Amino acid sequence: MKRRALLLSGVGAAGALVVGWGLLPPGDRLGGTDVLPVVDGEFALNGWIKITDDGTVLLAMNRSEMGQGVHTALAMLAAEELDVPLERVRLIAAGPERLYGNVAMVMGNLPFIHPRDREPGRTTDGIRAVRWVVAKVASELGINVTGGSSSVVDAWETIRLAAATARARLLGAASLAWKLPASELTVEAGVVSHPSGPSAHYGQLASTAMATPSGEVRLKPPDAWKLIGQPADRLDVPAKIDGSAIFGVDVRPPGLLFAALRHGPMLGGSPGAVDVAPALALPGVVRVVRLGPYAGSTGAIAVVGETWWHARRGVDALAVDWRQRPAGPLDSADIVDALEETAREAAATGAGRVFHAHGDVGVAETTATGFIERVYRAPYLAHAAMEPMNCTARIDAGRVDVWVPTQVPGLARQLAAEVAGVDPDRVTVHVTYLGGGFGRRLDVDVVGQTVRIARETGGRPVQLMWSREEDMQHDFYRPAAVAVLRAGVDATGLPTSLSVTSAGDAITPRWMERAAPGLAVPIDMPDKTTSEGLHDQAYGIAHQRIAHVATRSGVPIGYWRSVGHSHSAFFVESFIDELAGEGGRDPLAFRLALLADAPRHRAVLELAAERAGWPGTKAARALPPGRARGLAMHESFGSIVAQIVEVSLEKNLPRVHRVVCAADVGTVVNPAIVERQIEGAVIFGLTAALYGRIDIEGGVVRQSNFPDYPMVRLADAPSIETFLVASSRSPAGVGEIGTPPVAPAVAAALFVLTGERWRSLPLT
Amino acid sequence: MELLVNGEVRPLPAALADPAMPLLWALRDLLGLTGTKFGCGVAACGACTVHVEGRAVRSCVTPISAVVGKRIGTIEALGSAERPHPLQRAWLLHQVPQCGYCQSGMLMAAAALIAANPRPSDADIDAAVTNICRCGTYPRIRAAIHAAAAALRVVPARA
Repeated sequence: MKRRALLLSGVGAAGALVVGWGLLPPGDRLGGTDVLPVVDGEFALNGWIKITDDGTVLLAMNRSEMGQGVHTALAMLAAEELDVPLERVRLIAAGPERLYGNVAMVMGNLPFIHPRDREPGRTTDGIRAVRWVVAKVASELGINVTGGSSSVVDAWETIRLAAATARARLLGAASLAWKLPASELTVEAGVVSHPSGPSAHYGQLASTAMATPSGEVRLKPPDAWKLIGQPADRLDVPAKIDGSAIFGVDVRPPGLLFAALRHGPMLGGSPGAVDVAPALALPGVVRVVRLGPYAGSTGAIAVVGETWWHARRGVDALAVDWRQRPAGPLDSADIVDALEETAREAAATGAGRVFHAHGDVGVAETTATGFIERVYRAPYLAHAAMEPMNCTARIDAGRVDVWVPTQVPGLARQLAAEVAGVDPDRVTVHVTYLGGGFGRRLDVDVVGQTVRIARETGGRPVQLMWSREEDMQHDFYRPAAVAVLRAGVDATGLPTSLSVTSAGDAITPRWMERAAPGLAVPIDMPDKTTSEGLHDQAYGIAHQRIAHVATRSGVPIGYWRSVGHSHSAFFVESFIDELAGEGGRDPLAFRLALLADAPRHRAVLELAAERAGWPGTKAARALPPGRARGLAMHESFGSIVAQIVEVSLEKNLPRVHRVVCAADVGTVVNPAIVERQIEGAVIFGLTAALYGRIDIEGGVVRQSNFPDYPMVRLADAPSIETFLVASSRSPAGVGEIGTPPVAPAVAAALFVLTGERWRSLPLT
Repeated sequence: MELLVNGEVRPLPAALADPAMPLLWALRDLLGLTGTKFGCGVAACGACTVHVEGRAVRSCVTPISAVVGKRIGTIEALGSAERPHPLQRAWLLHQVPQCGYCQSGMLMAAAALIAANPRPSDADIDAAVTNICRCGTYPRIRAAIHAAAAALRVVPARA
């Protein structure tokens, strides 16, 4: 694809952009200087960029840093277009304005368009128009979300344009001052100069630039990039190796009190009668606060103390008559059995919401020479971010300050305002570093609880932190799911039809109800996340029907790193591996045969196979005895990842020694960060594949802490190698894409080792 | 009651310093040393790792009564801006952290290891650094420990 230079015309002081639709999410996201408050010595050039009088670039940072490197990646985009070294960019917190919302995340989820139909040359005016409308609506809503692996995708044009526009205005200022054409000026490390002699750094030009129109703005062509595509050190690492990085739990406003809590042990339960006297009698205990359900949480009792330990002791001293969930206790084994029944029945009757269909599966199945049907199951999972859920709030003189590690600062602000009974304008949300997010911090339950407690502390700030047990037993879990996959195969063993019927709860409507009730609708709209990775997979099977039955189990469910892909990759890739095995074909060759029309997928698979020494490749390499390889490939968030794992059995348990990853993520902004994200996601996926399961019995989550919800540790971590396919496409998602293929790859290797198919997670 | 933290005598507020209070909370909530983290409360994740007499200790289950009068070291004093610990140099070079929440504990566990064992094998590292990192930074942690241990072995030879 030819990379198009963006021509902006009619840029006034407010920076109105006129660009072709389909190219840029519409709506003015450049922003005016009104959204960036300045102090003496600072000059705002648009809603994203300020320049200080010493030439430092201040970038409004609208995304949360939770380890994915987004602060560094977005700063690189600004530094690139401004022609300054990365270390000249400093980050400032973006405000709540709509321009900082996330359009790309919404575009990634709506509408349901098969990735093939978005490819250049295949897309239609109709699809482009629908996407434009979605972008327009998303832009108007302006919800600030760090999630959906969308931060760089969203910033790719937005921040580069903001920086390029700022640069053009700075050049314009120099041009006016020196009476020289802007086209003859050059910029090196933030210093503008002309061959005839004059030169000035950005800080010296910024004041004039504020009144100078940008004129025509062009983004740099890729061959002029100095930073994009090169590894760069992360901006946040120095503070993360000496204890100085401030996470949510490290906020220490003067007079801080601490709070601990206990939720009703049963999901959806609530506290009845409480004897608070024993808690209040303890030293260091200040107050007991009853908490109703906030944003989907279970009711709870909180104790405020002078330290968290005192508060926690107070919690332990409470005598509470806990009430059951009104609809009765939840039981995960029953729920998963019911899901299987639902999926099997729907597969038999053709029920379910069809997310994708082409050809005629019914006819194809009657004419197929073979017929294979398998059922796969995935359990509930907890997020278990290392930093337990927490929030700090202060209500003082009608103003509310909230310090919180969150992926959704705007939703946090909205809920804080409601609970405090003030206008949102009176609430300031300070986003700290997140000690892991993984989707858990797309929910704001802890914000509602904390602000409620802060109403009782007489203006003193209070920091609520959940214990690990509360964090694990009151999560919004990755939903359990079951899928029935069915294929008709021809005489050569290749599938002619694929029918997928899955069942499981839909996350998005439940999340909307609790986190964004203003956007929730009375009936459940189809949720793409229930079927992602199934309806949009790339295999060239002539007849397909991909349907899902959305259930309502009552279990609190939420977005978990890679969302629907986290189980759909296991379903579809395990099935593909079984089809290959049944036909006596090599899993790599089998996939390549089904991907004749998918050259990007083929390239990724071939790269992984080559690097892993897969049999039949040029670098084919024999494995040590007792070891087997497994392969899986999955597309998610616009990126394609293939993984080849090497597994052995030790004491009858799988031991993963090596993981080779190949990925096509489009243009790479910082390859070092991309590789680390993929590698970290592999380990995250491996924990789920080997150990991950949350069981609910009698309404209570059985697992409670790391001893019974184990994690992969250093001793179990495989060596991981990651290879990126060179690409000139726009950047695609990175933060989640490494997780989905792990489980099916390990399961495939286990089949080679044991001769058994593993159709239920976890694999131990 | 007072604690000897990072070479300084730190008095604790009498009203709140309970002998049973875990060291973690004395550090974080009484002394404001927030670099040491809470992760699990049951010594299972290592986020709270500090040094007591140079040995790695999980402070979430270590009552302050057990460490009064002993030398306590936290991440804040592992190195300094001017003289970072070799592990901190290696952590920077290998760009180890992601979310960063577990890294204080990782560094303290690793520092105790290489102080006692200047040439740790992979198995030694596996045994000594059992902390949990949810972001999966393990491969770089291993590489950075080897690099820092090697640097430490070189420096005395030059001196």
